[in-house]
Amino acid sequence: MDSQFLVSLVLILVTFGLYIGIAVYNMAKQTSDFYVAGRNVPAVFNGMAIGADWMSAASFIGLAGTVMLLGYDGLAYIMGWTGGYLLLTFLLAPQLRKSGRYTVPEFIGDRYRSSAARLIAAVATILISFTYAIGQLSGSGVVIGRLLEVHTAVGTIIGVVLIAFYSALGGMKGITWTQVAQYLVLISAYLIPVIFMSLQLTNNPIPWMSYGQIVGELQLLDQQLGVSEYIVPFTEATKWQFLALMFTLMAGTAGLPHVIVRFYTVSTMKAARWSGAWAILFIGLLYLSAPAYAAFSRFILMTQVAGSSIADLPAWTASWVNTGSLSVADTNGDGILQWEEIVISNDIVVMATPEIANLGVFVIGLMAAGAMAAALSTAGGLMIAISAALSQDIYYRSINPQATERKRLFVGRVSIIVATVAAGIVALNPPGAITQIVAWAFALASGTFFPALILGVWWRRANGPGVIAGMLVGLTVTLGYIFAAKYGGFTILGIIDTGAGVFGAAAAFITIIVVSLATKAPTKEAQEEVLDLRYPEGMTYKDGEVWRTDPAETKRPEH
Amino acid sequence: MRKIDKKQADSYFRIRTILITIYLLIGFVASFVVVFFAEELSGFTVNGMPFHYFMGAQGAILIFIILLFVNAIVNDRVDKKFGLDQDQKQ
Repeated sequence: MDSQFLVSLVLILVTFGLYIGIAVYNMAKQTSDFYVAGRNVPAVFNGMAIGADWMSAASFIGLAGTVMLLGYDGLAYIMGWTGGYLLLTFLLAPQLRKSGRYTVPEFIGDRYRSSAARLIAAVATILISFTYAIGQLSGSGVVIGRLLEVHTAVGTIIGVVLIAFYSALGGMKGITWTQVAQYLVLISAYLIPVIFMSLQLTNNPIPWMSYGQIVGELQLLDQQLGVSEYIVPFTEATKWQFLALMFTLMAGTAGLPHVIVRFYTVSTMKAARWSGAWAILFIGLLYLSAPAYAAFSRFILMTQVAGSSIADLPAWTASWVNTGSLSVADTNGDGILQWEEIVISNDIVVMATPEIANLGVFVIGLMAAGAMAAALSTAGGLMIAISAALSQDIYYRSINPQATERKRLFVGRVSIIVATVAAGIVALNPPGAITQIVAWAFALASGTFFPALILGVWWRRANGPGVIAGMLVGLTVTLGYIFAAKYGGFTILGIIDTGAGVFGAAAAFITIIVVSLATKAPTKEAQEEVLDLRYPEGMTYKDGEVWRTDPAETKRPEH
Repeated sequence: MRKIDKKQADSYFRIRTILITIYLLIGFVASFVVVFFAEELSGFTVNGMPFHYFMGAQGAILIFIILLFVNAIVNDRVDKKFGLDQDQKQ
């Protein structure tokens, strides 16, 4: 038990104590306001809360490593995950907010007047959140594994127990101030190391301005070594894969059930717009820093680790080799570690960075606390999405409408535990890097919800049979393509599993349109409801006329 | 509840749709179009990086952030013009 372990553990415990403390303080103060706690919060802080919800282990732990290993090709993740907010804010958020529904399956079921559609949407919610959760659990495995210096799989098991417990507590959702605290911990944990690295390497404390210089030096190093160059585009995959992945991540962002929800629990449309703008600013801070991490880490690995004697490697390498995520075998037996002999997992770059740059126990501990905040807060949100879909949309509304509130809560709790354990079992031997697993969740969302929601709010002719067929086809095509590309080696235009969403979305759009046109148009009432979504809150469309309503008069349904 | 001219409501919808189309178009050019021409755009450097890399790592994100803030500000003005200022109602 070394001092690093103690410092990391204390920092994790202190930050978690802080989150729980804020939650308890807020709950005691306003029990009745529980679900609307976010409503009196200024847009800036709501933006931070959205940021904490959004930034998962994939962004925090996995992203910089992915950019480091893929070079330019990894930037598809950066643009995809930020650009999705444009689609969400411009094309969906205002309409979904006006519709007054709180969950995606609920909106789809009511808009398309079909409980079968609601059921399919609920199943898709579970599938998407489950896949996403696998990524979070494997991320917590990396952090805990390093902390306890055990294999990542053992770390994952501990993570499962933690997340099941945390989510069953309620995951601290809806308590905006807790998420504001999580955001602040997370972002300072992310920025402090990269600022120090920037100072060490370039004497410039602003990483965003200084890493360009390092990128230039990497270019020279790559040329000397004759390896594929860092900044040259499309070395790892085709241009079409880049574009397909970027589309998948953008459309998936706009279709992720647990993200959409955040946008319509604010008090006014104006607040929603400003929250969205602040959110992308706070989220962007992390995404702008990830490529700086990638460049600095790669530079240090290439100049300070590669080329050193195998018997004399820096101390930090040993602890990462133990977790199974780093391999530094001297394959050609010359006693020197070459760049080509370093095999580093995407997922450890950010976590290892403070150690690589020798930043001291406090920063390393802060990093661990930030990563745990990212993994646990997102996993908590996902588990709640799963349990809501199971207990509310499937069990209560389709299986047992007589179920009491207590019984539903019980079904919800059990489903959280079952889902966490099941996701944990898959994460023991993760089927891919964290960013890759998460990309599959986005592919599923862009193949199902994105088309169903876009057509649902923008095209009044879309009907129940259309959306049922569309979601099923989109789901089948996306899943089929992921498996065919990953295990069967089948690709179109070099698009691999992570870009599957582009095919799923195309198939779903076409199916919804064709089947809707081939079947009966929705009722006049259903079509008018869609037309009403065009107009802002405060205007109501009815029988070809528009009425001005005082926002105070239009009560949103209680939940 | 009072009736208002449908034309007025529709012009609100039209303005919003036009603005959204412009924003999405700018976002599309900053991401997809730049990626499509990545090789051709790598000739000059911005902020120390080849242009295509700069756009992927910084440029596109900054444009997305600016677009969302511009949208928030412009839409507040449009709302005010149509008398939909929500702050005053509460």
